[in-house]
Amino acid sequence: MAASKTVGDVLRANGVSRRGFMKFCAATASMMALPPTMVSAVAAAIENARRPSVIWLPFQECTGCLESLTRSHTPTVEGLIFDAISLDFNHTLMAASGQRAEDALDAAVQENWGNYLMLVDGSIPTGEFADYSCTNGHSHLDMLKKYAAGAAAIVTIGTCAAYGGIGRANPNPTQAVGVQDIIKDKPIINVPGCPPIPTVITGVLAHYLTFGTIPELDHHGRPMAFFGQNIHDRCYRRPFYERGLFAKTFDDEGARKGHCLYQLGCKGPVTYNACATLKWNNGVSWPVQSGHGCIGCSEPNFWDKGSFYRPLSAAYYGDARTVGISVAAGAAAGLAAAALARGKQKKAQQEEKA
Amino acid sequence: MSSLAGIGVKIESGGGIEPELRGNALPLLHEIRHALARLVEEGEPTVLDIQSLPMGPGDLTRLMDALGEGEVKAELNCLGKTLIREARYSGVWIIEHFDGAGAIASRFIEINWVPPLLQAQAEDVQKGLMELADALAPAGN
Amino acid sequence: MNEGLYFEGMSLLDFARGPAFRWAVAIFIIGIVWRLTALLLVSPKRLEPVKGSATSGGVRTMLTRSAPAHELEKNIIFQHYSGYAWHISMFIVLLFFAPHMMFFKQILGFGWPTLPNLFITFFAVVTMGILLVLLARRLMNPVLRQISTMDDYVSWIIAFLPFLTGIMSFTHITFGMQYETVLALHILSICLLLVWFPFGKLMHALFIWPSRYKVGAAFARRGVRA
Repeated sequence: MAASKTVGDVLRANGVSRRGFMKFCAATASMMALPPTMVSAVAAAIENARRPSVIWLPFQECTGCLESLTRSHTPTVEGLIFDAISLDFNHTLMAASGQRAEDALDAAVQENWGNYLMLVDGSIPTGEFADYSCTNGHSHLDMLKKYAAGAAAIVTIGTCAAYGGIGRANPNPTQAVGVQDIIKDKPIINVPGCPPIPTVITGVLAHYLTFGTIPELDHHGRPMAFFGQNIHDRCYRRPFYERGLFAKTFDDEGARKGHCLYQLGCKGPVTYNACATLKWNNGVSWPVQSGHGCIGCSEPNFWDKGSFYRPLSAAYYGDARTVGISVAAGAAAGLAAAALARGKQKKAQQEEKA
Repeated sequence: MSSLAGIGVKIESGGGIEPELRGNALPLLHEIRHALARLVEEGEPTVLDIQSLPMGPGDLTRLMDALGEGEVKAELNCLGKTLIREARYSGVWIIEHFDGAGAIASRFIEINWVPPLLQAQAEDVQKGLMELADALAPAGN
Repeated sequence: MNEGLYFEGMSLLDFARGPAFRWAVAIFIIGIVWRLTALLLVSPKRLEPVKGSATSGGVRTMLTRSAPAHELEKNIIFQHYSGYAWHISMFIVLLFFAPHMMFFKQILGFGWPTLPNLFITFFAVVTMGILLVLLARRLMNPVLRQISTMDDYVSWIIAFLPFLTGIMSFTHITFGMQYETVLALHILSICLLLVWFPFGKLMHALFIWPSRYKVGAAFARRGVRA
């Protein structure tokens, strides 16, 4: 667990030439959504950056976030960043298992107390359900609190770790929450998405590796570089929205021509992520380009915002019962008012006659 | 893990997309033109990161078709393959970085006399010098 | 489904689209039915002899009142036609903007073709402009100022807010607020409109028809054109 080497040393030890290093820095700068003019600054920073210790703790998760990251084939720039930042513990990826893995975790944590980066994926069950999600007899709630105490910063990978995700969706049977609901005294970078785009994950790690600081975050704790724009404003189908050309079903003329998917429930206008520009599978495509509206997977509670196929502006006016009761109540009030008024009229007429 | 390119894909509707509604190929070409002018007048190079721009389907192909092929093609082998080729407009270089499995990692368009990545790097030259000296030493030279 | 119900972690936008909207609609319906029932049932007994057909007179008046009375024309022509311009622009924005159409489609079960956003922006600006001009007129014209009541000003504000918040959301000119907050305010301004609607001047939208009919019918009975 030699955290004293610089990243430059690690890359050279891996046989990477200077040219290779410059290619690595160019790709990393691109990954961090930095302009190409900053590549030399990035190169200088990475060359001398200390290799931080990183532990990855999976909690109540489906492993999709880790899959997303490792689907990036190695050796890649992303793979190198990951290796370069010395992933000291990840019980899915590491060769050791059982008690030996536990010991490796504790050793890494002890040696780097106060300085390690803690990556978390999966939500954390709380209350009476805390023990339902545990590893080697320790509940994940306890593990989170224990290892967060010595972390320099926490990066939550995926919507589950950031905001609770699907575990927290109504009726939240395990009382699951995200990391920020439990840890209040450490810097937290949320990298939500279900799963997050792998480039975004490594971009955030690259930022920490290069600059040693937390990137600028929005009000939901997400890095502005990747989550600062909403999907709608970056969507290549936006001209269709402006011109009023929509797909009305999934296989009609509009759908074939690639028209806007607003009427099929796209949540692009209220979702902030980099899907429209970075795309998925190394830039091959993304949901809208493949013909399905955005489901808003990087937003808190997106599972509970109604159907994925219900347009954003569709009304929630209530049900027939509410309407019926309102009509009855109104009619009753109206009749009462009319009766009162008629009574007054009659009285006035009688007085007039008299 | 096999490359995604190995999966058979059948394109059903090709002609239905109105090309004039896609924005980005034309504005990018103009930006390249301005950058080339800057290179000629002020000697200042420019690098454009193509991966980070919203491109609709077909946009990238249109851009690459417009840029075409020039006189120089170079294949680098460091940390995976990198292809550098000159466009039909001299001074415009298309740099494509690939990862170990052949998938695209990043794409740049550099407007410069020669991309710095093509040049030999000082560190590597030093290392090369030492290695050559070592290789020649046993022969008593 | 969580709409209309309270759930943990609900944001302002969820609240606006859920419980707030549901209650606003309920109050809207109660109010409308109440006031219409009261209006329609409260008719004094007609004692005079019938001199003409009441129903045809009523229907006739419903239509003729759409143009200004000949005697008053010169005085009210500006007001009358700016009223038309405003209402037409307002309905274009309300009904032919795609997200609005989807809103009604959810309630009615059917939709209709929409206009490109460029037209909608134009008409929204026209609507807001006319509202501002008419407010200025109301404040500067001595007669109007004297006869204006709290209802007039409140109704103006309640009619203006949806357009202001709508334009702010659409253009993302949010003065530092988040987009979702402004969108929530847009929906809440509609909730406010729904709640105020049955009880203030805005009720004219529904009252004009029975009102014109009754006046026309009453006069027609007496053999007089209204």
